[in-house]
Amino acid sequence: MTELEAGRAERLAPASGSAAFQRYRDVLIALIAFAVLACLPLLSGSKALLDFVIRCSAYGLFATSLNLLVGYTGLTSFGHGMFFGLGAYSFGLIMQRLGVPIPVAFVATLAITAVIAAAIGAICVRLKEIYFAFVTLAFQMLIHSMILSWASFTGGDQGLRGGIPRPVFLGIDLANHVHLYVASCALLILGLLAMRQIAQSPFGYTLRMIRDNAARASFLGIDVWRAKLTVFVLAALFASMGGMVMALFVSGAYPEFAYWTISGEGIFINMLGGVSTFLGPMVGTVLLLLLNDTVTRFTEYHGIVLGVVILFFALGLRKGLLDFVAEWFAHRRDAVEGR
Amino acid sequence: MTRTRKPGISRRSTLALMGAGAMNVAAPWVARAQAKTIKIGMPTILSGRVAQLGTSSRNAVMLEVDKVNAAGGLAGRQIEMVIRDSKGQPQEAARVARELVNTDGCEWLIDGEASSGSFAVHEVARDLGVLCVHTCSEASSLTADPKQHIPNAFRCVRQGIHDSIVGGSYAASIAKAKGLKKWATCSPDYAYGRDTTGEFTLYLKRFAPDVEVISESWPKLFQPDYTEVVTKILQAKPQALYSCLWGGDLTSYIDQANIYAMFSQMEVFAVNMADYTALTVVKNLPKGIHSGNRYIKTFPATPENAAWGDAYKAKYNEYPTNWSWQNATAVMFLSEAAKKANSTDGKKIAEVLKGLTIKCPFGADGTVTMRADDHTLVGYAIGWGTTIPQEPYVPEVKAGDWKAIFELEAEWKKSKGYT
Repeated sequence: MTELEAGRAERLAPASGSAAFQRYRDVLIALIAFAVLACLPLLSGSKALLDFVIRCSAYGLFATSLNLLVGYTGLTSFGHGMFFGLGAYSFGLIMQRLGVPIPVAFVATLAITAVIAAAIGAICVRLKEIYFAFVTLAFQMLIHSMILSWASFTGGDQGLRGGIPRPVFLGIDLANHVHLYVASCALLILGLLAMRQIAQSPFGYTLRMIRDNAARASFLGIDVWRAKLTVFVLAALFASMGGMVMALFVSGAYPEFAYWTISGEGIFINMLGGVSTFLGPMVGTVLLLLLNDTVTRFTEYHGIVLGVVILFFALGLRKGLLDFVAEWFAHRRDAVEGR
Repeated sequence: MTRTRKPGISRRSTLALMGAGAMNVAAPWVARAQAKTIKIGMPTILSGRVAQLGTSSRNAVMLEVDKVNAAGGLAGRQIEMVIRDSKGQPQEAARVARELVNTDGCEWLIDGEASSGSFAVHEVARDLGVLCVHTCSEASSLTADPKQHIPNAFRCVRQGIHDSIVGGSYAASIAKAKGLKKWATCSPDYAYGRDTTGEFTLYLKRFAPDVEVISESWPKLFQPDYTEVVTKILQAKPQALYSCLWGGDLTSYIDQANIYAMFSQMEVFAVNMADYTALTVVKNLPKGIHSGNRYIKTFPATPENAAWGDAYKAKYNEYPTNWSWQNATAVMFLSEAAKKANSTDGKKIAEVLKGLTIKCPFGADGTVTMRADDHTLVGYAIGWGTTIPQEPYVPEVKAGDWKAIFELEAEWKKSKGYT
C-alpha cells in the first residue's frame, strides 16, 4: 500500500470499529505470509524453490533496509553492502572461533553492527546527497580492503573457509535444509514487520519530513542529525540480518559480500521494485533473482539482458514496478470515484 | 441432403496427429531414459575479466567428454555436461552448484571456480555429499588444510606451493651461477600474490642464502598503469626481479616496462609468463624471461602433449590455457575411475580416485596421481625455462624434481600446522 493509499484508507475508514483491525492488520498479514511460506515445503519438494526463498530473504532484508534510507529518508547510500558483509563475517567468525549458540552469535553480530554503523553513520549523515553517497561508498571500500588484507583473521580474498558450524538450539537444526528455510522466512517476516512498524511510526513520518524538507523539520525542533543517525543504524541492523542469512546459506563469508557491487544490486532492486511503496524492494528482489536465475541458465551474456531491463525501467516506466502498479490502481479508483 | 458443415480433419487423422505429436514430445525423454545419460554439473566463470579462462575450461572439458562419449561413456552412460556461469561470485557459485544438483539432476560436479568461489562450491559438496572435482583453484589450503578435507571432494589443479618450491630452486641455481644477489619483487596485492611471492622468496633464500630482497611492489589487481611500479624498481637497481602477475596484468606490465627497457637491465622471473594467454598477447615478448610452465604444448616434450595441444587448437582456433589441461585431466580421472569401478556411483568413484594413477599427456613421466591422503593432484609436469619471442616461445624447460617437491611440501605443511 502506498502512503497515498494509506492516507486515503484512514480517511475512508469508519471512525472506531475497525481501528483495532487497522492496528493489527500488518501483524495479521505477516502471520498469513509466514504461514503460507512455512507450508511451501509441504506442497513442493523442490529444493531449488526453498533455496530461492532463502536467497530472497537475505536480499529482501538487505534491499528493504536500504529503502528505509533511500525511499523514506532520502539518503542514497552507495555503501549499504558493507553492513551485509559485516553481518556475514561477524556471524561466521563468532560461530567459527567462539562456538557459542546461534542466537548468541546473532545478537552479538547485531551489537557489533550497531556500534560500527553508529561510528560510520556519525560521520556520514552530516553530509547530503552525492557527498553522503560517496562517503558511504568510501567506508564500504575501506571495510572491503580490511577484509582482503587482514588475511589471518578473515581469510583474505578466499573468504571464511571450513564452513560455519550450526549447533542445534531449541530443537532447530540449521544444517537441515527445511529448518534453515523456515528460520530464514521467520527472519524475513519479522524483519519486514519491524521495518514496517518503523516506517509507520511517528519516527517514520519524521523521516519522510526530513526527506522532503530537512530545514523545515529542523525548524520544527527535530534533531535531524540524530534522526538520520538512528535510521542509519537501524537500516544497518536489518542489512546485517540479511548478511547472516546469506552466510548460513553459503556456509561461509566472502569479501564479495562487502564489495560495492552488492550495494549496487541493492540500489538496482529498489529501482526495479519501486521506492515509494513499502513492499517495492521485496518485489524488486524477487524480480531480480528470478531474472538472474533464468537468464544465467541460458546465456553467459546476462549483462546485456539485465542492462536492457534496467533501461526499460529507468526510461520506459520511469519508476519501479510496484510504484507503477500502485499508481495505476490509484488512477483507476479516481476514475471510478469521479464517475 | 446438403452438408451443413465443411469437412475438416477427420477423427482418425486427428487421433493420428495427436499420437504423432505425443511421440514427438516424448521421444527425447524416452531416448534419454534408455541411454541413461549421466549429468555432470560445472559452475565456472564465463563472464567478466577472467571469462577467457572459464571458456577455455569449458572447451577442454567438452573436448575430453566427446572422446569419452564416443568410446561408450562412463560405465555405459553417456555424459551430458551442464555448464553455467557463476560470474566469479562465490554466492552465485554456491547457488549454481546447488541448483545443478538439486534441480538439474547432476550427479557429479566439476568445479571450475577460482579462489573464493571454489571454497563456496566446496561447502556445497560438503553439504550435499556430491562427488566434486575442483579444477581451477590453486590455493594450497583447499586440500592441504585438514579442516577442509571431505571424502567426496578432490582437486585436480597445480598448486601454489609446488610452483614456489620449483621456482625457488630454479631461481637459486641461476642466482648462484650469475651472482644475482639483489632482488626485487612485484606481485598483485591479494592473497595469491602475497602468499606465492612469500613462498618463492622463502625457497629462493633457502637454496641461495646470500640473496637479499631490496624492493617490494604490490600493484593492485587489474591495475591499468604500472609506470610508478616500473620506475620504483628501476631506481632500486636490483639484479633480478620476481613477479607473479598474471593474465592481462602481466601483459600490460611487460608492455609498459618494455618502454623503459627494463628487461635488458635485470633478470626477470615471471612465474605466469609461459601461458599462451600471456605469450601471444604481449606486443614485443622480450627474450630470456624466466617462467614457470602454465600450459605449453612443448612441455612435457611428448607427442601426446603436442597432439593434445594441436587438437585443442584445431577445434577452438586458440591455444589451451593452464585451466584447460587441468579440466581435461579431471575428465580423464573420472573416466578412468568409472572404468575401474564399473559404476557411476559417486561414493565408489571417490574410493577409486584415492591414490589413482592414470596415463596423462600432462604428467611429468606420462602419468599423474590423485594423492590419497589429501585428495590432490601430484606428478604433473612442472618446470621453468626462458622465453623467445616466437613459437615455441619457451623452447627448453627444466623439469622440477618431484622428490624434492614432496620433501619440502611435507615440511611446509608441518610449519603451517596442517600435519
